Order: sequence, then C-alpha cells, then structure tokens
Amino acid sequence: MIELSGIRVVFNPGTALENVALRGVDLTIPQGQFLPVIGSNGAGKSTTLNVIAGLVRPLAGCVEIDGTDVTNWPVHARARLVSRIFQDPKMGTCEDFSILENYALARARTAPRGLRMAIGAGLREEAVERLKVLDLGLENRLDDKVGLLSGGQRQALSLVMATAGETRILLLDEHTAALDPKTAHFVMELSRRLVGELRLTVMMVTHSMAHALDYGDRTIMFHRGRVLLDLSGEARDQMTVDGLIAHFKNDGIADDALLLG
Amino acid sequence: MSLYEFLGTIEVGLVFGLVALGAFLSFRVLQFPDLTVEGSFPLGAAVAAVLILKGVPPGAATLAAGASGFAAGYLTATLNVRFGILNILAGILVAIGLYSINLRVMGGPNAPLLGQRTIFSGLNGFGVPSFWLTPLLAGAIVVTVKFALDLFLSTGVGLAMRAAGANPAMSAANGVDVGRMKLLGLGMANALTALSGALFAQLFGAADAYMGIGVVIVGLASVIVGNSLLPARTLVLATFACLVGALLYRFAVALALNADFLGLQASDVQLVTAALVALTLIAQRSPGRMGRLFKAGAR
Repeated sequence: MIELSGIRVVFNPGTALENVALRGVDLTIPQGQFLPVIGSNGAGKSTTLNVIAGLVRPLAGCVEIDGTDVTNWPVHARARLVSRIFQDPKMGTCEDFSILENYALARARTAPRGLRMAIGAGLREEAVERLKVLDLGLENRLDDKVGLLSGGQRQALSLVMATAGETRILLLDEHTAALDPKTAHFVMELSRRLVGELRLTVMMVTHSMAHALDYGDRTIMFHRGRVLLDLSGEARDQMTVDGLIAHFKNDGIADDALLLG
Repeated sequence: MSLYEFLGTIEVGLVFGLVALGAFLSFRVLQFPDLTVEGSFPLGAAVAAVLILKGVPPGAATLAAGASGFAAGYLTATLNVRFGILNILAGILVAIGLYSINLRVMGGPNAPLLGQRTIFSGLNGFGVPSFWLTPLLAGAIVVTVKFALDLFLSTGVGLAMRAAGANPAMSAANGVDVGRMKLLGLGMANALTALSGALFAQLFGAADAYMGIGVVIVGLASVIVGNSLLPARTLVLATFACLVGALLYRFAVALALNADFLGLQASDVQLVTAALVALTLIAQRSPGRMGRLFKAGAR
C-alpha cells in the first residue's frame, strides 16, 4: 500500500524558474491495486511517481509505504520496497552486463549478496524459469550482453527483473512509450499478467488514455499539480476515451498531449 | 636493448600494472576520471620508504602504503559524493594537497632507501641472479592482485560497483548505494596505485616527491592500449589486457628513448607518453585498418 499525504513539490524554489509541480497531493493506493495515471505534460504524474521512488523529495507532506514513513529514505533504500521500470528501455538494464548479471543485480535488491559470488547457486535455474514465461527465448541467451537485445526484449527483461524477489510495489513510468505499437501491446499484456500473478500494487504513468482505461482497476488524472479526476467501479467502466476527452474539455484543458493515444 | 635492460623494463611494466588495474577500476568500471593517482603514487612510495627507514618490516610498510592510498581515494570520492565537487576537480585538489603531505611525510623532497632491506632484497638464492628473481616476484604480486580484483568484481558488492559505474540510475533503483560504491572503488583504485608506488620506490631505492607526475596518463595509456589490442569479452581478460597494456607501454617508451635516430633522452619520457596516448586515441577514431585495430576494445 502507498499513502501520499499533503505532498507539495516545488522545483527551483526562490528562483525565477520556480515551478510548483505538486500542490498538496493526497493519494492512497491500496494493496494489490493497479492504478494507471494520466495527465498532460507538467501535470505532476511523473513527479508523483518520482516522489514515491525517492528521486524527488517533497517540500511538505509524507510518503508511507506499507505503513512505514519513507519520506526521507534515499532511492537505494526504498528499492527494497519499490521497483520501477523506466521509459527508456536502455535505462532499465546495464547493456554491458549479460542477461544473467542483470538478473543477479535485480535479485540482490531484496537479497543482497555482499562478498559472496554475485551469481550464486541456483540463480541460473531461477533466471531460466522466470525468463521462459516471456516466450522470447531469452532463457537460452543468459550469457549474451543485454546491449544485443531489442527495446521490447529489454523492457520485457526489465519487467522480469522488477518483479524478482519480494518487492510488492511496481512503478511503471510510461514504460511502453518508446516501443512500436505491437511491442507496446506485448509489454502491456505481459505487465498485466505478471502484476496479476504476483498481486502487486502498481502505479502506471501513461500518455495513452486507452491504456489508462483498459488496464488496471482505477484511473486518476492529474492537472496542474493536483488530482483532478479519480475514476473507479462503474463510473470507470462506463468511461470511454471520447468521454475522457469531453470531460477534460469541460474543465478547460485543451492540450493535444492528452488526445494522443 | 640488453637483457638487463629488458628485464628492468618488464619489472617496471609489471609494477605499473597495478596503476593500470587502478585506472581500470576508476576510469572504466566506475567511469570516474580520477586524477588522485598523481598524488597517491608518490604517497605510497613515501609511506613505504619512511616506514622502512624507521625499521618497519618491508612487507608491513608496503601494506601500510596501500592503506594510505585507500584513504586518499576515499577523500577524493568524499569531495565528489558528499560535497558535489566535480570528479576531475576533486582528484586534482587531493593530488595537489598530497604533494605537500608527501614532503611532510618524507621530511624533504625524497627518501633514499639505499642499503635498506626491501621486499626485493631477500632475493639472491636459488642460484639465480637477483635481476631474474625481482621481476618474478613483482609479477607474482601483480598477478595475485589481478586475480583478487577479478574475484572481488564477481561478488555481490563487485557487481553492484560495476553497475554503479555503468548505469547509476538503474543501480540505485536496484538498491545499490552509488555514492558508497564510488567511495569504496576509488579507495581501492588508489590503494593499488599507492601499492605500485611503494614497490617502485623499493625497486629503485628511493621515494621522490616528483615521481607522481604523469602517473594518471601511464595508467590510462595502459588501459587503452591493452583493451584496444586485446578486446576483452570478460572481466578476467579485461584486467589481463590492462597488465599487457602496462608492459607494452613500457616497452614502447623504452624503445622510443633507445632509438638513437630519434635523439630522445631520459627527460623526454613525459613527452613520449603524451604523444603515445594521443596517437592511440587518434588511431581509434581513424577509419581503415588502424582504426579497426584500435577500436575493437575501446568505447
């Protein structure tokens, strides 16, 4: 479970470039909820994700994960509780490392190996088991450098890595935005499957309104640093992409970025 | 080149292999252009020489030199990680400060070791002359350090350190404390460099405040030459290539200085080094066979 209360984020405070990114955001994501988040550029959705991951420290407010106040925890300390997938497939993996080394690195997130060998007994078998699920043949290429893989393959590997170990919370940061439509669909379906099997709590930032309604259990929309719309249950089931657009136009938001997807 | 000169060149090349391993760790693994080595190399020499002069056993003095180098590297990383000073500048600051510290440690510009017992002085048995045994011992030390480094880099911490250099954002997201890895890695890199300085001082019978000039380029040259000529797919081979690079670099310099038609003298060594590194980097960029030869291992 993720609980944000009164989160206020200001970039470059006290300068000419001062920019209030979040104006007191309260948001609770219950255990096991898959929450897509939409909003125009600069609305605050990615900032919110970064506040949860620990990349951005709020000026005011509190971040709780599973009942623990992590507001002042650095990124690497939160990694035990939260994993994330980056937008850029190149960011989520080390391209000079083999697939197995990347998996070992991700596995060490919840089970650090210290001065024991990074590739311990049984890790190879575990990696094979988990990669088989992707049906991409990566389980036969464990010693290949990740730099040899395509963007979609790397994003799929990132998903396997982010869901390795005991991490219960997954942050998806426009993780299909850099992929072609077919690959994006594959990665989205894979995300849905892994999240369902492992019953993870997920926040997914997306620019695609279709994805925001098709995937997950609830949809929220950010606008100018606040949560503008929070849809779940029947209201969400009846909402369409056109409906969303109409809704946003009524609120005076005429931003092309919202209409994409 | 006489046999004696040949073995002497191998000796120095092997000792500078430790500098190359240090440069591999900072420049390649951590992607941290570390200039501290200009100060930590003479620091290691000074600490070892002064301790030996005070009657400390040479082995212990050499290890203490390594520890002093670790502290120097740790300081550079602290300036960068905790206080946000640009990596290159942090190294320059520590190296400049070490120049004065080295003068203090030695109580003057140099510390002669003539007639003192060093780790190389027990070597006159087995019916083999010592100028054969010295490079053998130097080689044994360097190869042991190389394999210890290989082993470390394949542990959990070692993998985390490599990741911290290769992709800091991703490693942090996977629980790696990137700052701590820099502190540890730069400490290790400068410990290796100081160890090299300590061995060098014992080979040549003196520590000198000026012996650090150009060490950063020697280390980098070894890594670049080695990894260009021997493109390595695994870490074990990459560190091996660094040692080969250190040896090749020494021979290139020795040959250049020995070639009568070039008219170079011993004091031209820094110029030869700079020219050699510049030529290697230019060769990496050039199209055609030379470019391919050098490009393979370079990034």
